[in-house]
Amino acid sequence: MNEQTPVLLAEHVGFRYPGQSTDALKEVDVTLVKGQAVGLLGPNGSGKSTLIDLLMGLKKPGSGRIVRPKLSQFSMALVPQEYAFYPDLTCVENLRFFAGMLDISSDESARRVDAAITNSMLEEFAEKRANQCSGGVRRKLNLGIALLQKPDILLLDEPTVGIDPQSRAFILEQVKTLVASGCSVLYATHYMEEVSAVCSNILLLDHGTVLASGNLASLLLHPEGGMPFSNLESLFMHYTKRSLRDSGHIHE
Amino acid sequence: MNNVKHRFNQIVRIASKEWKLLLRNPHGLVVLFFMPAVFVLVMSFTLKNTLIANIDMPTTGWVLEDESPLVTHWMTEWQERYGGRVFSAREDLQLALKDGRINAGVIVLKPWLDNEGRPSSKQIEIWLGNRVQPAAAARLRAEMVFSVLRVQMKSAAAQAGPFASVLVNSSDWTELLGEQNTPNIRYLYEIESGRKMTAVQQSVPAWLIFGMFFVVIPIAGVLIQERKDGTLTRLASFGVPTVSILGGKFVAFMILNWIQLGFMLLVGRWIVPLLGGDALYLDFSISWFLLIVAATSAAAVSLALLIAAFTRSFDHAAALGSGLNVLLGAIAGVMVPRMLMPTGMQLVSEWSPMGWALDGMQAVFLGHPDAKIMIPRITLLVLFAALCCLASWWRLRKI
Repeated sequence: MNEQTPVLLAEHVGFRYPGQSTDALKEVDVTLVKGQAVGLLGPNGSGKSTLIDLLMGLKKPGSGRIVRPKLSQFSMALVPQEYAFYPDLTCVENLRFFAGMLDISSDESARRVDAAITNSMLEEFAEKRANQCSGGVRRKLNLGIALLQKPDILLLDEPTVGIDPQSRAFILEQVKTLVASGCSVLYATHYMEEVSAVCSNILLLDHGTVLASGNLASLLLHPEGGMPFSNLESLFMHYTKRSLRDSGHIHE
Repeated sequence: MNNVKHRFNQIVRIASKEWKLLLRNPHGLVVLFFMPAVFVLVMSFTLKNTLIANIDMPTTGWVLEDESPLVTHWMTEWQERYGGRVFSAREDLQLALKDGRINAGVIVLKPWLDNEGRPSSKQIEIWLGNRVQPAAAARLRAEMVFSVLRVQMKSAAAQAGPFASVLVNSSDWTELLGEQNTPNIRYLYEIESGRKMTAVQQSVPAWLIFGMFFVVIPIAGVLIQERKDGTLTRLASFGVPTVSILGGKFVAFMILNWIQLGFMLLVGRWIVPLLGGDALYLDFSISWFLLIVAATSAAAVSLALLIAAFTRSFDHAAALGSGLNVLLGAIAGVMVPRMLMPTGMQLVSEWSPMGWALDGMQAVFLGHPDAKIMIPRITLLVLFAALCCLASWWRLRKI
């Protein structure tokens, strides 16, 4: 497959939740190519998680189309915003359980669990119940579980919320390593510096509509002819007319 | 890997995970095992007197407002047989009832004899302490009426002449409902099985079913948590279909139901007799037993899945699940045996999943199961389980 051939494509995608009067997403286009990291930015309620669910195939779009690779050829994994594992199981029990859900041999399953423990630096916490681990360890476990799928495409929904700087740096490093190894990443976050550190492209969403998308460096040069933006936050404020805070509160 | 084998592996692993979570939640296990076991113990002793033919007469006090010789004679005759004591006034009788010195009181109003000189039951008041069993009260009333009738007969015989009097007076005083003199009552199940119904035989299946339906608490706990923290979404992203998720839970909690069953049989067979109760008969038809337990378990787990799938929080599920179980249990005759219900309620109780389970289970436990009783109930339970599973799958299929 050509490096620039999209591995995941969404065209004019729209979605409305049942019983709602407005669309959660309108005419959204997303293109993800091999080895590319796209930062998905937007305030709370902008439609980021809905878009991830649609791309993951967990919801069906109301309009438009999503072209996903065949799962026999590609694997897609999701890192949800929540700690999506069993708090009463130990870290290694969680990894073994999710590895057991995959259609792989038991030897391969054991290998992947070992690799996830090593790569996510969970050795020290492997036998500890997840609910007794720190937020940073839980975030690593959340990512480690997704990596059991050996994903070609990884969708991360705010994977570093509420953790210490060291754990955040570790997770960002892991994502960068994945991208360098050819994994395509869609990275939804509130943190501008994380997008700047990891992503070459961005997709800026607000009220379910794409405000800006494309190469981050080009967008910072202000393609509409104005002064170049000093940083990603200026770009964000320009397009959304508001700032984005870690807490998720929106300030007009 | 073969797709069917892979799905089977997923179900086994999900079931195994459910068990790990259960074993780490001792509070949930206490509810599922000890609550029904304690109910069996309590109800086996509470209902003990309800299910036997001979009821003890309550200790009786007397107040004679009519002090004619006939009344005194009649009361003395009564007391020789049943014991009891005399009080001078209603207030003293009331106080004795309140203090628990006596359980019942008889007040003979003045005049006891009617215009024709015959004693009248209408001139007798019976007072009861608050804890006198209805069956004991019924026996006191029946014996009292019978006793008054004897006095009436004697009185009539005396008027008829000496020959009649000799006949009546020579007959022995007998109790109407005494042990030697009662008609032999036999329930249909006793005729069919040759066994006596005992409280433990009634309580074990009833509270076993109730306990089995309480799996709603752990199922809701796990399923709602999985929904809230995105684990179901993650499982979907791992390619795990809703059918496997529900299937894993179904298997895990059906196994739990079988362990509950073993525990309850143990309590009924060995613990209740240790405490002085009757032992549970265990020589029943194994094939019908396995079928009715499997169908009951399927219905219980499916209803729990349905409640867990349609509620938003654990508190909501626990309140709804517990409330619904208590209601279904009350309707089905778990708490109050169906034989003690009025006919209308007995009809209503035939339309409850716990009622179907209880009918089938009691038929097995009392030793007279047959296809006519068992097949319709097993079919209804399986259909109920299938409908609940289908609705749960429909609700969770988009997660």
